[in-house]
Amino acid sequence: MIEEIRAKAADLLRSGEVKCFIGYERASDGLTARPFFAYSADEADRLIFDGTCVHNLARYLPDMRGKRVGILAKPCDSRSINVLIREGQVEREEVYIVGVVCDGVYRTTWGKPSRELQPRCLYCSKRTPVVYDYLVGQPPPAPESQHPASISEVEALERKPAAERWEFWRSHFARCIRCNACRQICPACYCPQCFSDQLDPLWTGIRIGLPQNWVWNVGRALHLAGRCIDCEECQRACPMGIPLAILNRKLASRVKELFGFEAGMDPRAPFPFATFEKEEEIL
Amino acid sequence: MPSGSDPFLPLLAEISEVRDLTPDIKLFKLNLREGRIDYRPGQFAIISAFGVGEAPFTFASLPEEGLEFAIRKMGTVTSALHDLGPGDLVGIRGPYGNAFPLEEYKGKDIIIIGGGIGIAPLRPLIHWFIKRKGDYGDLLIIYGARTPRDFAFSHEFEDWARGARLELAIDPPGAPEWKGRVALVPAVVKELKPSPRGSIAITCGPPIMIHYVIQELKALGFSPGQIVTTLEAKMKCGMGKCMRCNVGNKYVCKDGPVFTVEQISQLLEEF
Amino acid sequence: MKFLSNGNLRGWLESLMGMGSLIAPVDLEPGLTLFSQVRDPGEVNLEYEITPIPPKDLFFPSSEALFRFSPSRGYEIPRIEGETFLLGVHPCDALGIRLMDFPFLSPPADPRYEERRRRTTIIGLGCVKARPECFCTSFGIGPLDPSNADAFLVPVPGGFLVEAKTGKGARALASAKLKEASIPIPKPPEVSAIDVEAVRKVALSLFDSPYWGRLADRCLSCKVCAYVCPSCYCFDIRDYPTRDGAERVRSWDSCQSPLFTRQASGYDPRQTKASRLRNRFYHKFSYFPDEFGAFGCTGCGRCVRYCPVNIDIRETLSAILRGEARIA
Repeated sequence: MIEEIRAKAADLLRSGEVKCFIGYERASDGLTARPFFAYSADEADRLIFDGTCVHNLARYLPDMRGKRVGILAKPCDSRSINVLIREGQVEREEVYIVGVVCDGVYRTTWGKPSRELQPRCLYCSKRTPVVYDYLVGQPPPAPESQHPASISEVEALERKPAAERWEFWRSHFARCIRCNACRQICPACYCPQCFSDQLDPLWTGIRIGLPQNWVWNVGRALHLAGRCIDCEECQRACPMGIPLAILNRKLASRVKELFGFEAGMDPRAPFPFATFEKEEEIL
Repeated sequence: MPSGSDPFLPLLAEISEVRDLTPDIKLFKLNLREGRIDYRPGQFAIISAFGVGEAPFTFASLPEEGLEFAIRKMGTVTSALHDLGPGDLVGIRGPYGNAFPLEEYKGKDIIIIGGGIGIAPLRPLIHWFIKRKGDYGDLLIIYGARTPRDFAFSHEFEDWARGARLELAIDPPGAPEWKGRVALVPAVVKELKPSPRGSIAITCGPPIMIHYVIQELKALGFSPGQIVTTLEAKMKCGMGKCMRCNVGNKYVCKDGPVFTVEQISQLLEEF
Repeated sequence: MKFLSNGNLRGWLESLMGMGSLIAPVDLEPGLTLFSQVRDPGEVNLEYEITPIPPKDLFFPSSEALFRFSPSRGYEIPRIEGETFLLGVHPCDALGIRLMDFPFLSPPADPRYEERRRRTTIIGLGCVKARPECFCTSFGIGPLDPSNADAFLVPVPGGFLVEAKTGKGARALASAKLKEASIPIPKPPEVSAIDVEAVRKVALSLFDSPYWGRLADRCLSCKVCAYVCPSCYCFDIRDYPTRDGAERVRSWDSCQSPLFTRQASGYDPRQTKASRLRNRFYHKFSYFPDEFGAFGCTGCGRCVRYCPVNIDIRETLSAILRGEARIA
């Protein structure tokens, strides 16, 4: 698999089809992975792919606008690419997508890889990317979902009384240091000016405190409803261990219930929150 | 509350007068409620619009003329200040930064080159040089703006022209009432060819203007030590602590804002 | 050195809690330890590996009101009261506090920082294990180095070797039941050092290297590296309106933020990720040492561990030592 990815990336770079190929290389711990930008066929030899390749590389595509790039895409990453294309942030013809069949990725932090699947992989229904120009790996026979999740964290939390749920989020948001890692790593957070940086009106301002953190985290989750593809990168990046994916997953499930919509699956499907139908039902 | 004990606490000042200088630049005259601020031309203060925030502004007057600031409406703080009038309260702390070494310029011909709001730090110099004509050589003022209405301090131009050679220019063209020069400031420098011999050129304006003015002056034979400018930067503290205004290993707030081009050429980063 | 047995730890901590507030490493979630106000001595975890946030926020809070102002009442300045015992500070973090003193205590000193420093006793804790990201020995300290603390504990079987380094530290230890120590100081764990003086000598020659652009490719422009750093101190100041005036708030910020140097006119001298990444590096290893005579880094390795895309400052240091423009 790795050899095929390296060879394909090297071909794309050698032929000039792409200026840069975004994939993964081994991280400085020698154990986990990190994003890697290869600019020559020689550099393509540094590419790797395994269960530590957790990063959603689609996040880098808006940075590369105007340049033709190649990108390695897991199924989740491919859904993000679809969202970015649909939202006009990425031109389909500027990106050469090398899709990779994925068996799930592991919970990793630097220096500490594990063999435990990330929670999102338990909920993921795709093993084959939804969009690609070239596919690495054999697509499995349908149905693709291989890890039937037991009770989800969302359901577990919902079973608790309101006061406990309130305390759960209060204690997590109180810790938030507003480092913006969740936002900066998110493929769907590409606004040139985020509401949290806006001064007029002042939504949160710079203050790091419970009310501002609450508005920030909930505000961000709402902006991601119908757009988040559950790559869980925000949660992984959070140095303070805030379980942001629970919020995103809850909103995604409501969007699915109400609109039958799943972000990034179909690049032509209308967006629930950017579509107005004259006869639509009032919720 | 004296500013000395807590460097973040501004002195309170009342706005005594507001004058429209251009459609988007106002001159604010301030009266301190308590304490005093001793400054030299080239230094700056940090002014508060309470409830909105603080921003740095260069002193636009000589100390003996009272505290005056020319403020262009740009962001949130300047917009809030523009909404204030006589009697309103603002905060002011400073002075910060270095100053123009006016003693060193004695006996030299002075060329002042300003663009837009960049005239603000140059105005006290103009007043200084005109008042102390005997101590300095010839004074040439080149001042450019986008339209005739965008010249700040046009009410003082007669005084300036009496004490100096004043050359005005606008760009872009398109003001039928304008009978003067239509040119960008660097082009005016090129056209007037001030002599570098025994001269000091002091320039302030948008960064892009400064870059090209420096280029033209160098082409005329000015050495980097003869060209002086005052830099702008985003600032929060004014005391070299917040790390917002460093250009490489220099702070605009502490080591500047006045730099010679010789000093700028040693900066690691672009300003 | 004296010996404090595990059995006598609780009693000592209780007496510290009686004298002031005790801040120490507390486990808040599985895998998450933070310096927190201790409510029960049993919460204190002196075997902790690392806290994502160093104890810098005790002196330089993530957000604080500098003052409130109203035209009728004038200024109101939040009071700083009480005494604090900061326990369990590893040598790297104690150095971090020392480094933070440079900008905040140099004239004009920040009275808030000064007051908190004056009211706090730092009780250091030796490291019996090193983490893979540690490189503290590059900065003249080591896993069992007591400098920069008022009192210092070294974990040994059955308890701690303890030592007061200052009068404040002696006062904090006065209530501890100590015995004469018969145990030798253990051998510190191995921590590899980088020759940062050599880096500093050659660093400026790589200022314009394409290295920074390549490294910046994967940088996210988040502020994790700065917020977890014991010696990063960039801040922002802004107002929040109140009913009849203002509250002026100072908060952590970082030169890694894309908006950090953008002027009101829209002009931004540091527009690229590469220039921002470079600024953080040179501030620590060139500008800060020029200004204060010490490196702006403690070798704690937090930025290495918590960067979501593994921008590893040790790789940058090595790359500069090798004089390579190649991305490591």
